[in-house]
Amino acid sequence: MTDIAIIGAGVHPFGRHEGTTALAMGAHAVRAALADAGLRWDEIEFAYGGSEDGGNADTLVSELGPTGLPFTNVKNGCATGGSSLVAAVRALQSGAYEVGVVVGFDKHARGAFENDPADWSLPAWYGEDGLMVTTQFFGMKLQRYMHDHGLTATTLAQVAEKAFQNGALTPHAWRRTPLTIEQILGSPMLAHPLTQYMLCSPGEGAAAVVVCRGEVLERLPDARPIWLRAASFRTRRPGSFEVFSPSLELEIAPSPTVDAAREAFELAGVAPADLDVVEVQDTESGAELIHLAECGLCEHGEQAELYATGATRIDGRLPVNTDGGCLANGEPVGASGLRQVYEIVAQLRGEAGERQVPGEPRLGFTHVYGAPGVSACTVLAR
Amino acid sequence: MVRELLPRRGTLWTWTTQGFEPKPPYVPDGAFSPFAVGYVEFPGYLRVEGRLTESDPERLRIGMDVEVVTLKRPTCVTYAFAPV
Repeated sequence: MTDIAIIGAGVHPFGRHEGTTALAMGAHAVRAALADAGLRWDEIEFAYGGSEDGGNADTLVSELGPTGLPFTNVKNGCATGGSSLVAAVRALQSGAYEVGVVVGFDKHARGAFENDPADWSLPAWYGEDGLMVTTQFFGMKLQRYMHDHGLTATTLAQVAEKAFQNGALTPHAWRRTPLTIEQILGSPMLAHPLTQYMLCSPGEGAAAVVVCRGEVLERLPDARPIWLRAASFRTRRPGSFEVFSPSLELEIAPSPTVDAAREAFELAGVAPADLDVVEVQDTESGAELIHLAECGLCEHGEQAELYATGATRIDGRLPVNTDGGCLANGEPVGASGLRQVYEIVAQLRGEAGERQVPGEPRLGFTHVYGAPGVSACTVLAR
Repeated sequence: MVRELLPRRGTLWTWTTQGFEPKPPYVPDGAFSPFAVGYVEFPGYLRVEGRLTESDPERLRIGMDVEVVTLKRPTCVTYAFAPV
């Protein structure tokens, strides 16, 4: 594929920010990414961006400058950041533009997400009955997965323990206090087998990147490019097990994660074993475990050993979610996919500070998954 | 689209608990107490999602036999699955 680089990345801290709008956080992240790239907003030729509850990304031009650039809004649930980035990459590959911005931001009410059955082509009773709750899907997919692959609650707790340890090292993270295995297992049971500290919280935050065609670097001698070796984006196939499904077929099809990850590795011409640092969607502890296997980063059932031996810690063989992931950063739906990319960029540049993966990592990977069956992955290299 | 009558009995394929009161459009019926939901497999047909009449995790296990019962809710009468 045409050489596409990320030359700037920025975040607005994650967490709760009373009095700051999601759009203001988005603008903050864009400015940080532009400063990182050494570019001005009026040098940006196009933008993609999105949020679930935080407003229209294209209205950021009133904050950043109405330069007339084409600014496209994207709304793909938890995969919004990932699919925005894929759209930007395709725009660059088309040759229509040389440099663009991708931004994701959000601000959600406290507590679990609220969803209207009508938005999902579902009958009203489904919501009235108490079935329109995303955590139920997480719990049920995980319950079956643990049954099939022999995983236990201890491994779920180890995922969360790692997340909060990494969050403590990440300046922009929300949850920065490490928790013990006992605290995690002992917190209230919200969606069996998931306890409170094994589930991420809807939150607030923003992330942005500046992307360009490789030839632009000739006029940017100070750029510290990270190469986008692949960006893939897939939706579900018939029979995949997704959120808000009143029924399921007997034959369960692979998750769109499987297809998106496979496509990313094929495009990049690398294998999962080549990766030095990865970010996978961890909306709850079980999601991290399942997504690692669905992405081909481990075998199904191998997770118990990976977490027991510390293989996924920052100094492990396969560091996973070095910024604490969604568990420590919360889940501002529009922002999370680009937060992952920000993290991998920081790691590959060697700029991740206290949470830096040792050994000068060269190759990274990101994965997001969204309802109702959307997944986007990237392979990044320095 | 073809109408099919499902068997009254199936097996629990997976389950979880609802440990906190859902936000609207959930319609509460009195003080909230945790409930369980699951997918029940009807061999040869499909799996159906619904509420379970049993909410104690200790009494729920994958593969257990359940049967379809009715459940009266404030806005409708719906189905649920009860261990047999």
